[in-house]
Amino acid sequence: MSGATTSAAGDPRTGKHESLVSRIAGSPALRLVARRLLIIIPLLFAVSVLVFLLMEALPGDPARIQAGMDASEEQVEAVRQQMGLDRPGYERYLSWLGGFFTGDLGHSAISGRAVTALLAERLPVTLQMAGMALALSVVMALPLALAAARKPGGVADRFVMVFSMTLLAVPNFVMALLLVLIFAVALSTLPAIGYAPLEEGLWPNLRSMILPVVSLAVPIGCFYARFLRGDLVEQLNAAAYIDTARAKGAGTWRILWLHAFRNSSFGLLTLVGLNVGGLVGGTVIIERIFAMPGMGMLMLEGVISSDVAVVQTCVLIFAAFAVIANLLVDVTYAVLDPRIRYGSH
Amino acid sequence: MRRDTSRRGKGRPIRTLALAAAFTLTAAACQGDTSGTDGPGDPEHGGELTVILDSAFAGDWSTGLDPATSNSTGANLPQNSAVFGGLFTLETDENGENPEIVPNQAESYEWSEDGLTLTVTLREGIEFSDGTPLDAEAVVWNWVREFNSGSTGTPQVTLDLEREVPDLDQEFLDSLFGALPDDVDEDLITSHLGAIRAVDDRTVEMHLAEADGSLVNGFPGTNLNLMGSPSAYAEMGPEEFSTAPVGAGPFVITENQQNERLELERNEDYFKDDLPYLDTLTFQSVGGDQVAYQTLQAGDGDVVEGLSDVTLIEEAQNNPDVDVHLGAPTSPYVVQLNTREEPFDDKQAREAIYYATDFEAINEGLFNDQGEMSQSFTASGGLFHHAEVPGYREYDPEKAEEIVDELGGLEIELTTTDLSTARQVTTALQTQWQEAGIDVEIDSQALGDVITTFQGGEWQSILQTAGAWDPAAGIGVGVRFGSTSPYSGTPLPEGADSGEQALEEGLQTELDEKLEAAVQTLDEEEREEHYRAISEYIAEEAYGPFGPAFSPAQVMRPGVHGPGLDVPIPALAVNQGVLYDRVWVEQQ
Repeated sequence: MSGATTSAAGDPRTGKHESLVSRIAGSPALRLVARRLLIIIPLLFAVSVLVFLLMEALPGDPARIQAGMDASEEQVEAVRQQMGLDRPGYERYLSWLGGFFTGDLGHSAISGRAVTALLAERLPVTLQMAGMALALSVVMALPLALAAARKPGGVADRFVMVFSMTLLAVPNFVMALLLVLIFAVALSTLPAIGYAPLEEGLWPNLRSMILPVVSLAVPIGCFYARFLRGDLVEQLNAAAYIDTARAKGAGTWRILWLHAFRNSSFGLLTLVGLNVGGLVGGTVIIERIFAMPGMGMLMLEGVISSDVAVVQTCVLIFAAFAVIANLLVDVTYAVLDPRIRYGSH
Repeated sequence: MRRDTSRRGKGRPIRTLALAAAFTLTAAACQGDTSGTDGPGDPEHGGELTVILDSAFAGDWSTGLDPATSNSTGANLPQNSAVFGGLFTLETDENGENPEIVPNQAESYEWSEDGLTLTVTLREGIEFSDGTPLDAEAVVWNWVREFNSGSTGTPQVTLDLEREVPDLDQEFLDSLFGALPDDVDEDLITSHLGAIRAVDDRTVEMHLAEADGSLVNGFPGTNLNLMGSPSAYAEMGPEEFSTAPVGAGPFVITENQQNERLELERNEDYFKDDLPYLDTLTFQSVGGDQVAYQTLQAGDGDVVEGLSDVTLIEEAQNNPDVDVHLGAPTSPYVVQLNTREEPFDDKQAREAIYYATDFEAINEGLFNDQGEMSQSFTASGGLFHHAEVPGYREYDPEKAEEIVDELGGLEIELTTTDLSTARQVTTALQTQWQEAGIDVEIDSQALGDVITTFQGGEWQSILQTAGAWDPAAGIGVGVRFGSTSPYSGTPLPEGADSGEQALEEGLQTELDEKLEAAVQTLDEEEREEHYRAISEYIAEEAYGPFGPAFSPAQVMRPGVHGPGLDVPIPALAVNQGVLYDRVWVEQQ
């Protein structure tokens, strides 16, 4: 890694750029990252075109919908202009794309506010919620899966399977309403709606997050638990290294945790990566139920009012999350298992 | 116990249609009042109130709160009432009876004898919350902006644009033009300054080219009622003013998370002594009735404005921890029949639908008999309501069957908004009509699609609502039955191939003439007669059978009082108006 050394030293002859290139070339993981990042660009471009076409294909006249039923034709026309719908579709798209590359994501056709400003307000809420939900789902899945896999067919296993299947069958919006009924209405311990920003204090912030996060996390956690339990049982039954560990006298928990789980964690990791995009997208309904001012709500409002700039940006961000999460999974694979080599084929 | 009337305002977003559909089909079920029978006692000062609004209607203020640029004026009555108060308010007596337009920031109004000049006199000494005067010049500034900033919250008024323009102060003109869109037509503005003028500090005149008997009745639901501070606009600029406009209402904005939460505190300089009662007022937007009701139950809100879900309203009525108050219905359901397309270009086919339709049974089966049946475009809550319309064809399945036989069968498509209750009603209609030998295909569409369908003109029948407190305002009878309206299926005038052509060439049907005559008079008795004739005409021509009418529900925790909450006020838009300066909560 001489490049790194040169870069760190700030070699004026080679320059930082050159050293970065050589550094990437020398590292399979970094090569992978670079390749994936290059793929992300056309991918997101394709997504943006698709979203634009879908928005264009939506039935109804957005200007008429926005203007109101008893608005005059002149008023509808004024709204059409205000929304930029009087310009050809390709022109609107290219204009948006041009702005995107200069860091200008455009303005909401409805509120007139800069999309970047809207993102700055909304993205942290969704990120916090999705991040906490993901963490909780994994934390919830681990003990359940380990307890179930310890003795397949046993009481704990059967309990976990029934428990997780039951909760999996409950859609998260139903879960959300049930949680509100229990914790907000009946017990009055948590707020039914609303978001308290961190500026109001950590506890108010966490309090406002608990129900939305649990609503999001429980079905995912149950899914993870079932998946991980299956993988663990497979490892325990079929893998030779488990027999070796048993022969050495390792206890069940030790085998589960130190041996089987390490291998099974790859599958779980893949699942988590695949889930990120869906999880962020899944915040739409939860944010609506809990009146959380996040990206999900922003996108929902955008779709309802055909606010193309807002919807396009939201979808791109959701897509970017999904792609980047998968990239991180692959990189983490490489870190966890040195046998995995990227780019050799 | 039924409480009182409701009406609709002009210029709300199209979401009104969806909500109207929802309310009409769902909230029709519930008339009654579960509030206590003892009086609430004397109003008390202080306290906080959180009002929960549906994000699909009143809880949507995505186009901001600047009256000149907001497209949801009619939906945002709660916010407007709190921030702007209004030149006029719609009020009732203590029992919720006798609704009438009452001057508020205005002291009085007067029509000229020819009905072409409206003179509004302002109360003395009113100031915006930034300390500048709400005077005649400010009203002119607001009205001209509101007519020229593209907002759909502006009523359609035919101003007299031929009048001479008075000499105006350059500073005022700079302020006005600075607050208008860049591409504004300066000649049009100039002509508006001839039609809208300040006579003195407290007197404003609006000169019309045609008399408009519904203008003042419609005021509280339009942006012409809402006055913003010109000085504040100059200081804040359009974006900030749209987020936190400065008015002369009972409250001032302290925090606005657009479409999410609006926090207000008492305006210490409010022009009415000792008002408002509340210290703070918050509007919280939530996603739908279920969440709204749960939020109220959880104690995270005090009032749900305009709950529409039948099941939830019934649940609330049985819940001892909340009070439910309903207004009187104004907007009945109607199956609009398109006379411009087969098969309803044949009057006999339309008659068959009337005879085959048993809305009474639907009202009983779906709405527990609590909706109010109507034979015309309004119900008991509206102006010019008459319970029975001579010549109205009532349910008679045998006659329907005879006509269908005579026609050699009848196959039709029934379109409706994609709402569960709407689908229930259309399914019931399908069953009834099939019993008369009519084959029915139901087409449930999203709101945007229904609008497109209307505008495309290629529909046969659509289940919607019709009516308003004043039938010329909002989604009134003209919108549903005027030949040039894009939401009407009545015949086009002779010589016209489209509504646009009819408008351009000034062509009218007999019904159009009747509708126009009903608006172009200020005499209430004359208007009454016109609307009676209009009802009879629609019935005679069989343009659409009418069904049950609805009223929205205010659901709140006990101890909350005020006009529009426990004393109902007719619905200005879909929801009732609430006079937030007089809302109070019982202190512990």
